[in-house]
Amino acid sequence: MVPAAATGRSRRRRLARQRLTRGAAPYLLLAPTVIAVGAILGYPVVNLVELSLQKYGLFELVSHHGSYIGLANFSSVLGDPIFWNTLWRTIAFAGANVGLTMAIGVLLALLLVRVSTWVRLLLTGALVLVWSMPPVVAVQVWQWMTNLQNGVLNYTLTQLHIGNFFEHDWYSSTLSQYGMVTTLIVWGGLPFVVITTYAALSQVPPELIEAAQLDGARYWRVLKEVTLPVVRPVLLIMTSLSIIWDFGVFTQPYLLIGPGQQNSGNYLMSVYLYVQGYGNTNFGRGAAISILMLAVVAILSIFYVRSMLRVGDE
Amino acid sequence: MKFRGLALLTTALTLAVGIATASSALGATSNTLTVWLQVDAQNGWPDIVAAANSAFEANHPGWTVNVEYQQWSDHLQKFDATIAGNDTPDVIEMGNTEMTKYMAAGEFANLGGVKSQFANSSHWLAGLQASATYMHHLFGVPYYAGSRVITYRADLFKKAHIHAVPKSLAQFQADLVKVGSMEKGVQGFSPLYVGGEDWYTALGFVFDYGGSIATYKHGRWVGELDSKQSIAGLTAFQQFFDATQPKSSARLDGSNPFPYTVFSQGKTAANYGPAWYSCCTGKKYASATKQFVMPSHTPGQPMPGFLGGSDLAVPAQSANQSEAEAWIADFTSTTSEQALAAKGNIPNATNLLGNSVNDKAAARSWFVPQAANWVEVENGNILKTMLGAILSGQLSVKQAASVASQNIAQTLNQPAS
Repeated sequence: MVPAAATGRSRRRRLARQRLTRGAAPYLLLAPTVIAVGAILGYPVVNLVELSLQKYGLFELVSHHGSYIGLANFSSVLGDPIFWNTLWRTIAFAGANVGLTMAIGVLLALLLVRVSTWVRLLLTGALVLVWSMPPVVAVQVWQWMTNLQNGVLNYTLTQLHIGNFFEHDWYSSTLSQYGMVTTLIVWGGLPFVVITTYAALSQVPPELIEAAQLDGARYWRVLKEVTLPVVRPVLLIMTSLSIIWDFGVFTQPYLLIGPGQQNSGNYLMSVYLYVQGYGNTNFGRGAAISILMLAVVAILSIFYVRSMLRVGDE
Repeated sequence: MKFRGLALLTTALTLAVGIATASSALGATSNTLTVWLQVDAQNGWPDIVAAANSAFEANHPGWTVNVEYQQWSDHLQKFDATIAGNDTPDVIEMGNTEMTKYMAAGEFANLGGVKSQFANSSHWLAGLQASATYMHHLFGVPYYAGSRVITYRADLFKKAHIHAVPKSLAQFQADLVKVGSMEKGVQGFSPLYVGGEDWYTALGFVFDYGGSIATYKHGRWVGELDSKQSIAGLTAFQQFFDATQPKSSARLDGSNPFPYTVFSQGKTAANYGPAWYSCCTGKKYASATKQFVMPSHTPGQPMPGFLGGSDLAVPAQSANQSEAEAWIADFTSTTSEQALAAKGNIPNATNLLGNSVNDKAAARSWFVPQAANWVEVENGNILKTMLGAILSGQLSVKQAASVASQNIAQTLNQPAS
């Protein structure tokens, strides 16, 4: 016979163990992901922060030993007018690129809904091809097309009598350089926006649209009052992601404008970071600029996180 | 017992094979000399590289030379990465403007003690030797130099009734204007194709008028582009550019298209650049291609030209220092240097100089300030920005020179990073 008191104790212990296991289960399930993300993202970030607090240039690279200088790298960067000019320029550049990508992308997605299946397949195929092209290759193709001597762009514009584009240099002024870079970035960014928006549009319940039409709403009214509210969360997420991507874009501006043509008058943040950190072998300063960029991107990401949370709630 | 014996035998065999493999792998690594050269050698004189490798390998049995060719645009970033990973090459070619920062950081082995091992070392070109010297210590071996000359189409000059090589800048400018007006029917023709932001050309004018970029005074760098002489030189360059570049074909970026490409297309009568430009002026114009030294504003004198060049250095982390030095000695031997000269380069020593137009042009030359931070002036494109502002009319010569001078002084006086 087992005494009643002992049975009660073991039951309580079992219950407590069960409760503990149940409580720990989510954390245990999360642990592998947290460890993996921590190792992959956490370690470099900690290293980056450490580097940003050090004087770490060529001397230190050779001796493999930096010296801690507190926040001197940050104060030097924040006191540099080139940093502020570059920041505002990059924000304006990213704004223009995101605006154009989203506007053209949404219009193309709306077009996809209305065209025949064949045209839709053709357009989607073309977009996937654009998507599959690596940026470095795209830059090369763009350079050929806009080449001042033998580029197809100058030839076509001249043949169409739009003007005399004989040996017109598309990279001769900062505005023109940005025009070319923007065209390339928007072109490369469209497939993601169009295909995702199209997928979201296909989720709009047709009965809602029918009901609105029966109530006498025209196309724009239906679009404004029915379609857009349904796809809004997707548009918000895409806008936020595009802001983050376009703010830190490097390959297109650096390669298309060319390393020899980068100067303080046309730097974008990523190029400024590259020149300061790698070009001038001032890795500590480069790390400080990285962290400041990270802070700006984090602020911009708030919209993304908020819209993600809202989507989750819905 | 039987099993124990078998296990012992297997373990012993495994260990033996392991040790043998490891030692052979170690042997293979330590017997390879890694050399980083620029693509110029790959394109222009691979035979000279191969001859040096053969000579080295004959004198060092069991050694092989692994030459890895690099691009000028990113070789320093790649080199920095190898320093971080303790995996540097054993020999590296450096541009003469790139040496100072690395010498100051202690990245290169001191070659002062073995200087006599290198051929013609007592006659090395002073400018190149200076670029490989820091605080009176030698950290590199001069490889070759290149001055800048005018490569021109003699047939066009003749057609314009110009029969003599110009003796002064004014005469040259007048000749170019004459050729330009004769060929004005050719769309996109420039009598001299030069990019406005080509600072190697523009600073030749600055030095010709007695100016300079920056000087070291009382422990600090002082910008000199806003001096009276430098402004006179920049003004002369602006006038020369405006007079010789038709509005429709004037370019700020002279590297795209590349000068000799424009020459080979028949769209220019002259280029100003390294003497080896003559290599690529096109089959059609090969026989008409001639060269002369860029004339100074002072009649009879050559204009000072940028003395470009390369040095060879041994990174401090190399485990094969003596072999690296021996390979450099083979690669800069008298035979090698003479072969380099035959290909349009300036050899590394005065006793090997000939009477070529390239050698004559080297008689008056200029070089960038030997400051640890000079490379930052280049990376920041400060000089190009100044020239762009002058030629596009955004700023006056005085204003643009003043801004550039301040920026240069500020950059050079920063603590070296």
